[in-house]
Amino acid sequence: MDLLDIGEEDVMVPLLVRAARDADASVRAEAARCLEGMESESAIGGLLDLLVDDEPEVRKAAATSLAEIKEASHGSQLLDRLSTADGFAKASILRALRELRRTEAYGPALQALNDGDPGVRAAAVGVLGYLKNAQALPHIARLAKTDPDPEVRRITVGALAFAQHAPEVGAALVDALKDSSWQVRDEAATTLGKLGDRAAIHPLVEAMDDPYWQVRLKATRSLGKLKAAEAMEVLTQTLSHAVSNLRKEVAIALGEIGNLAAVPYLEEALNDPDPDVRKMCRLALSQLGALKS
Amino acid sequence: MPLTMNRVSVPVTVDAEKCIAGKGCTVCVESCPLDLLAIDKEKGTAYMRFDECWYCLPCEKDCPTGAIHVDIPYLLR
Amino acid sequence: MNGLDMEVDVLVIGGGTAGPMAAVKAKEKNPALRVMLLEKANVKRSGAISMGMDGLNNAVIPGHATPEQYVKEITVANDGIVNQKTVLAYAQQSFSMIEELDRWGVKFEKDETGDYAVKKVHHMGTYVLPMPEGHHMKKVLYRQLKKWRVDITNRYMATRLLLDRNGAIAGAMVLDSRTGEFSVIRSKAVILCTGAAGRLGLPASGYLFGTYENPTNAGDGYSMAYHAGAELSGIECFQINPLIKDYNGPSCAYVTGPFGGYTANAKGERFIECDYWSGQMMLEFYRELEGGNGPVFLKMNHLAEETISTIEHILHTNERPSRGRFHEGRGSNYRDAMVEMHISEIGLCSGHSASGVWVNERAETTVPGLYAAGDLACVPHNYMLGAFVYGRLAGESAAEYCAVRALAAVESDQVERERARVLGPLAHRDGLPPSQVEYKLRRMVNDYLQPPKVTRKMEIGLQRFAEVAEDLTRMSATNPHELMRAMEVHAILDCAEMAARASLYRTESRWGLYHYRADHPEKNDKDWFVHVQVKKGDGGDMSCFKRPIDPYVVPLDEEEKAAYDHLRITKQAAVA
Repeated sequence: MDLLDIGEEDVMVPLLVRAARDADASVRAEAARCLEGMESESAIGGLLDLLVDDEPEVRKAAATSLAEIKEASHGSQLLDRLSTADGFAKASILRALRELRRTEAYGPALQALNDGDPGVRAAAVGVLGYLKNAQALPHIARLAKTDPDPEVRRITVGALAFAQHAPEVGAALVDALKDSSWQVRDEAATTLGKLGDRAAIHPLVEAMDDPYWQVRLKATRSLGKLKAAEAMEVLTQTLSHAVSNLRKEVAIALGEIGNLAAVPYLEEALNDPDPDVRKMCRLALSQLGALKS
Repeated sequence: MPLTMNRVSVPVTVDAEKCIAGKGCTVCVESCPLDLLAIDKEKGTAYMRFDECWYCLPCEKDCPTGAIHVDIPYLLR
Repeated sequence: MNGLDMEVDVLVIGGGTAGPMAAVKAKEKNPALRVMLLEKANVKRSGAISMGMDGLNNAVIPGHATPEQYVKEITVANDGIVNQKTVLAYAQQSFSMIEELDRWGVKFEKDETGDYAVKKVHHMGTYVLPMPEGHHMKKVLYRQLKKWRVDITNRYMATRLLLDRNGAIAGAMVLDSRTGEFSVIRSKAVILCTGAAGRLGLPASGYLFGTYENPTNAGDGYSMAYHAGAELSGIECFQINPLIKDYNGPSCAYVTGPFGGYTANAKGERFIECDYWSGQMMLEFYRELEGGNGPVFLKMNHLAEETISTIEHILHTNERPSRGRFHEGRGSNYRDAMVEMHISEIGLCSGHSASGVWVNERAETTVPGLYAAGDLACVPHNYMLGAFVYGRLAGESAAEYCAVRALAAVESDQVERERARVLGPLAHRDGLPPSQVEYKLRRMVNDYLQPPKVTRKMEIGLQRFAEVAEDLTRMSATNPHELMRAMEVHAILDCAEMAARASLYRTESRWGLYHYRADHPEKNDKDWFVHVQVKKGDGGDMSCFKRPIDPYVVPLDEEEKAAYDHLRITKQAAVA
């Protein structure tokens, strides 16, 4: 960080761009770090060059600095380089593009969904998720189902949260509730709650049988948000589960659903050994207008 | 009044082979929030001069050659 | 006079969190102003967030919480003793500050569609916004300081503020911690951003610098504000935090909570009834720690491997990254067993509790030309985001003040008195070492001020502090670094005396453990629904007085208060 103290940005950038071509890899890496936040064409050009450096340390530093770009106008310079980049560089450029939300990034990101590199596909989903362009939904939804990489599928399932009234998305998310990776299932249960589509209720009730309590917790939270009276039976049964995190979430959901049938169960749970569970039962009972003081 | 010097084990270790203080580097000295490090001019290496460490790690993270290691102070270990 | 003697418009003291923000905002308001940021360490790596921060726990984001809701929660969490206008000013500007920091390059957690990933921890509103990539906070701030051409002066410690003959700010006197040179900086306004008084109590390990707060934060600002005649408030509302036992890192309930981790007793069960990180919560923590179900643990061993890896990554790269090294040394692992916890030494810090220099909603103190922001400014539970918001308010207010104010003449007797005090320890070579005086003082703080507070003990404490005050003039320093430490001992002693006197003055118990008086165990709203202020009296003695609480701008009706309390704590259920 000490190179930064030499002077103002207009003086610094040419020096740093020259340092970025130094024979010594540690100098190039330091230059990449110092170029962070310097939003000029030559600074960004220098960083883009370093993305294909022989040394992984230098490439990593350049990617980190590129991700800090804040001015959307620099998006074109990044996009120009995207077509010739591959692998690491492509993923890094896409990650830098995400926050800039440039509409021109839509096409290239869509194309990158088919890339052989999971890192590129994940970054491309990020760009599309941030753009929130509904036309991308079927493509993202397809990836949620077919991508071989579980982390890509998880990100994809999260990115679908901007879909409103898109039945094909609902179907993909319901499938994702049965994914082999618990983290994908967890993310799917969360996203279904955000979308607010009552068609998700039945699949979420089924997800209450998931072997991971974490997934059941997210399903519970979403069932609460959806005010799913249909879930009363499975939720009241879960109020005695061994993991208190889950019992607590069930109490919150029962309050949100607003069905008076929950009252006796919540009253019984007022004696739960866990104070957080008891507290949430009191809160739920007061939401139901049934708290005896 | 009479005074004495007590020996203490300090948490910051500097690898003399890697340290480039002899070439003018003072990154660790500048990054320490408590100003505990100094350069031994004769040996050309950095060292911990005061045992007042918060084990917060900027010296270790910012060292360009990875010469510094910070341990948890013995009393807390 | 010496080397640094100079004139500026705005002098910001402390380059941690609030300070850089204040300096940038003063320049933004008027780029022609000469703004100096004075820092005891190096601005790049100083203050409470030297290694970043892992999240916001008081983010007021539209759709998740409203400013009014936040003000109500803080009012209840601080047992009603709040100047609501200050809390409301924070809450209303919280979101715009998040957006600005986001533009500056601070990375807040977002979901895959770019929306802020706000987590639910409290039940009334939702305020937790994680920052898993929050380790480069200081870099982001530094970039802004360079951009706005703020004059950064590192390795200087301010020792006293300069006043004009009307008691308004005229500048500050400073010590170069590397050369031992004493000098004067004249300024129209001063903004104090010197952080908590973190070196007040002694950590249980006995290691002087193993404190919860960054130990450079010795309480210099509390002491300077006091000697300048400013009112301080809520000093009796100590800061005490839950910690990993022996390691001074926070318990990180806000990091582990959203992932399912929690604080448990020896049986592995939750026991905390109170929602908010408050004195009430700390009292419950303390009772469990000392009780038959103790000690207290951080429980994560019920979580999935992938979740624990994520938590470790966040905890071991942000805020206190040596935590991983500590666990490794002990052979402890979140996966296998619960991790033992403890409570911290006492400190003064409005960021976590409420003790600080009194400010209004424009960050003005009671001294003309003096502003305060961050952990030392009394805005309850303000945390990091509050430091940024009040830094902004202070910078803007100070810039406005400069427009109608000229530099005041320097009163040379003030300067000479201070020069003699500061350089005194260099004059004799064989006096008391500052580290020994500090150890003794802070051990007395533990013995006599650590809650539960007992009247007679605090009175004895004051006698001991008076004896240590005599020792201050007998300290010697063999180098400039030691001289800085000696000056810090002066500040610590001022804070210790303020802590004792304010605590003795409020003859009731309030804020759970923070002001739990064993011989006045009940809360007494009839006599004590007031702020307790500490101020230097006309005769130079420390005085305490009551300041009425301004009418609430966000009223809570009795029913609301009762409903909240009822949900928060039920004693009969706690027995079950």
